[in-house]
Amino acid sequence: MRMLAAGITPVLAVVLAIIVGGIVVLASGSNPITAYESMLVGAVGSPFDISETFISSIPLILAAYAVSFAFRSGLFNIGAEGQLYMGAIAATWVATTLSDWPGLPLIIVCIVAAMAAGGAWAGIAGWLKAKTGAHEVITTMMLSYVAIDISHWLLEAGPMTPANAFGTPESGPIPPQAAFPVILPSWILPNARLNASLFLTILAGLVFAWILWRTPLGYEIRAVGLNAKAAAYGGINVARRLVIAMVIAGAFAGLAGMVPVWVQMRLYDSFSPGYGYEAIAVALVGKNSAIGIFLAGLLYGAMIHGAVAMQANANISGFLVQILQALVLFFVGAEVLIRWFLRRGGFRALAEAAS
Amino acid sequence: MDIVNTFATILARPDLWAGTLRFAAPLTLAALGGVISERSGVVNIAMEGMMLVGAFFAVLVGAATHDIVLATLASVLCGGLIATFHGVASIHLRANQIVSGMAINLFALGLTSFLMFRFYATSGTPSDIPALPDVNIPVINSIPFVGAVIGDLNSIVWVSILAVPVTWWFLFRTRIGLRIRAVGEHPRAADTLGVSVFRMRYLCVILSGLFSGLGGAYLALSVAHSFSDNMTSGAGFIALAAMIFGKWHPVGAFLACLLFGFGQSLGINLQGTGFPDQLVAATPYVLTVVALAGFVGRAVAPAADGVPYEVGE
Repeated sequence: MRMLAAGITPVLAVVLAIIVGGIVVLASGSNPITAYESMLVGAVGSPFDISETFISSIPLILAAYAVSFAFRSGLFNIGAEGQLYMGAIAATWVATTLSDWPGLPLIIVCIVAAMAAGGAWAGIAGWLKAKTGAHEVITTMMLSYVAIDISHWLLEAGPMTPANAFGTPESGPIPPQAAFPVILPSWILPNARLNASLFLTILAGLVFAWILWRTPLGYEIRAVGLNAKAAAYGGINVARRLVIAMVIAGAFAGLAGMVPVWVQMRLYDSFSPGYGYEAIAVALVGKNSAIGIFLAGLLYGAMIHGAVAMQANANISGFLVQILQALVLFFVGAEVLIRWFLRRGGFRALAEAAS
Repeated sequence: MDIVNTFATILARPDLWAGTLRFAAPLTLAALGGVISERSGVVNIAMEGMMLVGAFFAVLVGAATHDIVLATLASVLCGGLIATFHGVASIHLRANQIVSGMAINLFALGLTSFLMFRFYATSGTPSDIPALPDVNIPVINSIPFVGAVIGDLNSIVWVSILAVPVTWWFLFRTRIGLRIRAVGEHPRAADTLGVSVFRMRYLCVILSGLFSGLGGAYLALSVAHSFSDNMTSGAGFIALAAMIFGKWHPVGAFLACLLFGFGQSLGINLQGTGFPDQLVAATPYVLTVVALAGFVGRAVAPAADGVPYEVGE
């Protein structure tokens, strides 16, 4: 019952979003059934599309862990985008610099670099919050813009621009031995790109839940998030816990930044279509739990990948996805509305449990 | 020495200072909207979305009617309309206001880009949309330097500057402003004294939408002369930062917007001087972090900011 109740709000929110989104499509003079059908087929219509949906989802899920972990300590990390850029930059820099290293150690060093860079970038905001009270909403956001500007500089005409770039803002190639192994062999699914980063993402979810619910550190971080004054009174060093929470959060984001680069095997300027911002929505829809975020991330990833086919086949703007994502978020936020619907429909017990 | 000379030359350029005011204008309008909303106790991170909606409908109506008044009116009203959704969610439905604000931002991005594809996919927005008028001040215009800075600014730049004292007066010197602040600090007490918490909050959230919508109209009609997907590109978030940086005060928020405007203008003026302009572009953001950590200290939000009010507990 509890599991059902926890899931009922997001599920109903999705249903409501599909209905309202359909009305928007209808009002703009297109057929919503065609739109949704081509989106669904585009997202999960073939084994290849399913694997691509996972590719769209993974950075969202990892970045959402970054948003959520900070949120558990009471901090609103809206700068996952910047932490993700720093992770991508660091991993790319290590991979291109140590390009003669053998595969496995190189991959591990790259992962460590991505997580360290993301963690350090977020840690600045955490440290400033703890030391001076500087509002993390501003500092993380400002640091995002700084990180993105740094990547523009590095890639457009800076130290990471290869000599033969011909004006394309991009890094040199990631050496092939550093690639994550593709997990679907080509005799099962030709040209599949889904790689072992999926396992890393599952592992990250387990680590996320393990730290928060099975370690003293996680207990203290959650205590700080629930009531910082009470936590301090209970002998917890609040400032230090805030910094650690941000560093761990940033490490998730750093990893989220590395993954899409390791799909394209090169760091392109503006490689992120806003993973760090959409991750905020994923974290909220997933209710800040490891499994919830994973499922919400898959849903958002499916919509993003399905939209490509929808725009091409049904000639309806792929931005319908942003409308749907916004509506899901809106209805998850307006739980009162969902409870009201449930009560009206005679599901009183469920309505009470969903609160 | 070379660096000093370059900077001295740039600082003496009227362009730099006129640009500062121009870049600051849309930020100021949105930030003032944010100040009003949050002073009444409704957290508003949705200025970005409200600006985007304002920008799109300014272009849509401007292209259809060729009437600048109608275009501006449409953008302001649409900003207010989308703000009303945030109001209903935060005030009546007691939703988490950050969630609702993010939803509004995402919805605005989706809706405007969706309609953009629907109406202008092949050709882009038409070029014959009306522009907001510039204000040419005859006497000041002929004063050296000063004339070049403020002699020929867009009308909305002046509106944004005038809106600062007006907002201050409204919030701190009128009866309704006192009620707004009371509702934002201690809604229960205000309610007891007969002030309608809901009415005040709706008023303020909608006002923030009107302000942000106007900021969006300025970006579309007078800066870009067009609409493109996600054209506000974070201006609403910068305005949000300016509001917190300015400690939820109209004048403070305005000064913060001027700083951001200066940073943007400086970045443009430094192009072609051999500085890596991507790094210069990051200066205002770094400055904000440094200033926030070093000088401004703890920013204290209105006490009831973000807390939904429940009638009759």
